[in-house]
Amino acid sequence: MASKSVMTLGVRPLSHSFIGSTPSAIYLGTNSVCVQQVRHRRFPKFVVRPTARRPWHVRKWTEKRDETLDASNEQFVKEVIIDKYANTASSPLKDGPWERHSYLRETRRSGVLALKLGTLLHWKKDGTPFTVTVLQVLDNHVINYVPPEVYATYPSHNPHQGLRFGLQVVGSLSCDPRQFSKPYNNLFLKAGVPPKRWLTRFLVTPDAAIQPGTALDVNHFKVGDYVDTQGRTRDYGFQGVIKRWGMKGMPKSHGTTKSERKMGATGGGGDKDGIWKGKHMPGMMGNYLRTMYGLKICRINTRYNLLYLAGVGVPGLPHTFIRVSDTVLPRKQRTEEQMSQVSMPTSFPEDLVEPLPEEIFTDDVFQFTEPSLQLEAEDS
Amino acid sequence: MAASIAQFCVKFLPKRLQLMHQQTSCVCAFFSSSSSLNQPKQLKHVINYQRTRAEVARALRKKQNFLHHEMVDKHRASPLQSGTEQVSEEKGEGAPREYRYVMPEFLPNPDFQYRDKVLEKMERRDMLRRRAVIDIPEFYVGSIMAVTVSDPYSSGKTNRFVGICIDRGGRGLKAYFVLRNVVDGLGVEVMYEMYNPTVHSIQVLRLEKRLDDQLYYLRNAPLEHSTFSFDMQPVTLPRDVPVPVNTTKVKLNPKPWEYRWERFNLKGIEPLPLTPKMEKGIKEHAKPWEDYDLMLKYRQTVNEDEERSIMAEVYQENTRIDAGRKSSRAVLRRKK
Repeated sequence: MASKSVMTLGVRPLSHSFIGSTPSAIYLGTNSVCVQQVRHRRFPKFVVRPTARRPWHVRKWTEKRDETLDASNEQFVKEVIIDKYANTASSPLKDGPWERHSYLRETRRSGVLALKLGTLLHWKKDGTPFTVTVLQVLDNHVINYVPPEVYATYPSHNPHQGLRFGLQVVGSLSCDPRQFSKPYNNLFLKAGVPPKRWLTRFLVTPDAAIQPGTALDVNHFKVGDYVDTQGRTRDYGFQGVIKRWGMKGMPKSHGTTKSERKMGATGGGGDKDGIWKGKHMPGMMGNYLRTMYGLKICRINTRYNLLYLAGVGVPGLPHTFIRVSDTVLPRKQRTEEQMSQVSMPTSFPEDLVEPLPEEIFTDDVFQFTEPSLQLEAEDS
Repeated sequence: MAASIAQFCVKFLPKRLQLMHQQTSCVCAFFSSSSSLNQPKQLKHVINYQRTRAEVARALRKKQNFLHHEMVDKHRASPLQSGTEQVSEEKGEGAPREYRYVMPEFLPNPDFQYRDKVLEKMERRDMLRRRAVIDIPEFYVGSIMAVTVSDPYSSGKTNRFVGICIDRGGRGLKAYFVLRNVVDGLGVEVMYEMYNPTVHSIQVLRLEKRLDDQLYYLRNAPLEHSTFSFDMQPVTLPRDVPVPVNTTKVKLNPKPWEYRWERFNLKGIEPLPLTPKMEKGIKEHAKPWEDYDLMLKYRQTVNEDEERSIMAEVYQENTRIDAGRKSSRAVLRRKK
């Protein structure tokens, strides 16, 4: 009978690996996974949970602490750490700024690591309400850039992509280096930034490569852009079949014996001796990568680095970290005029001729400082 | 025996509540101390330990993808971080204690999973900006209000509705209230969002409170209790007078009712004639332990310090807006 591999089922546009703390669902290379044959279902909700750590991950945390430090020494060490990273931009030994290119249709820019804060309600100028999700771009720096020729030798490289993309590593949330291991801290030497709590990768075209050590903030995007948000969904733990797969269960009374929330039949019938692979059953629910495509940025706050995205469905609870990048949806790509306005490869402080206003809105969003709306009758 | 069991239970409370218990020196009345000889058979409440254990397990399970909100605030305040400003805490003249009842929609979600300082600050800013444009007065459930909204299909382009506020809720920009009135012999209820930009004005015609938090029982009461004239003139109250409480007891219509009002412990209705079946139902569904459930109250309220600083900020901003706003308000109220 026909069988399809996991590889073809798991295709997602620009799905990249998370360098997180523990097992994450990634886009697997051919030489590091067992290919599992599954039968196609009508609702392909096949949950892949790889258990092995990626071979190129370095050990991150360390339990060693310096017990000999007393209070004043502790204070001195903290001051040294702050001083070390305070003046990173002005060293004469660093190589000069990289060349900047203009944005073309084939360009793929880097993304940004944001923190999901929550949702709010806003209104449009025609009176319709809509929910906005607020993300905060906090303490982002570019950690590394790997050119396409070198990236092609990496085990995570997909041969299908060829030499189109380089690898951009972005990190978020600076931390005290003493809690991390030496190999993990060495990842940040090139950038000269404090070690970060979270790291992620973005596939970028070489013309959009950003120099390691550059800070990323919310001005990387413009109001009116469409973005994709990727994150881990909320963790529901081990859940039964009704919550996990939406099965109906059985009546609560009228003689049902001990089977109100059970699966019932397991299917198969004459076609198979047993149960098909991928049968919906109880198990761990949530805590996997999901992407929400094509959310519009309706508002930006430059002072607190906030992105207001029109829509719900950004995965995870508040304070989940979210990868935000330009959208891959074909109908939400930039127009020619927008392409000339894009900050390439990102927005630098020297680009801003005059300081940006604190709040920038799209034209159709109602600003609360405006007077009340007067709705007009629709012309039939 | 009840006292010793109660003392045993106190050990499992969090530290803050243990100290509170010592100070108040009350015996937690988790167990009834009456003898079982003369009382009817007590209905047992079985605590669902399974669910609590699962919740604990979920809380302890290692989190991969999100941070505790304290850690997030630490990162925002970290000296290693630059480029993002910190949200400033208001330190100024505090609000009067009752202010949290005047503006309850400013209080944040008590659930710690959904708390975020920056998000709440941004939402408060937007709410206060809206309050600077239109006057959203102080009102309570039981006040009679008039709301004007934009209506493109009516002559004059606005629609005015007068009614008694039977419910008030929501948090932040989603705050709402429900007005009820009787129009052409038919009871009409309208829910209005307080911060909706199509709402042109909210006017309180008579400011008063009722004995209950929600007045949905007016649906099963004679229509005269819900009827208010659309031409009602605003009533001005003297300064510095506490909000009057309307203690009318409404006599409900005979059954059928929309809900089993006898189980709601309502204070604003006359005593209901109870059948034995109704009395049995009341006993079965009553939750007398909730009065003594400290953890429930703890989880439903925000930390007092945070509440105080939030209300201080809101109070300062509102007094600033009021000072700038011109007079001629229907109900003159000034709180010290």
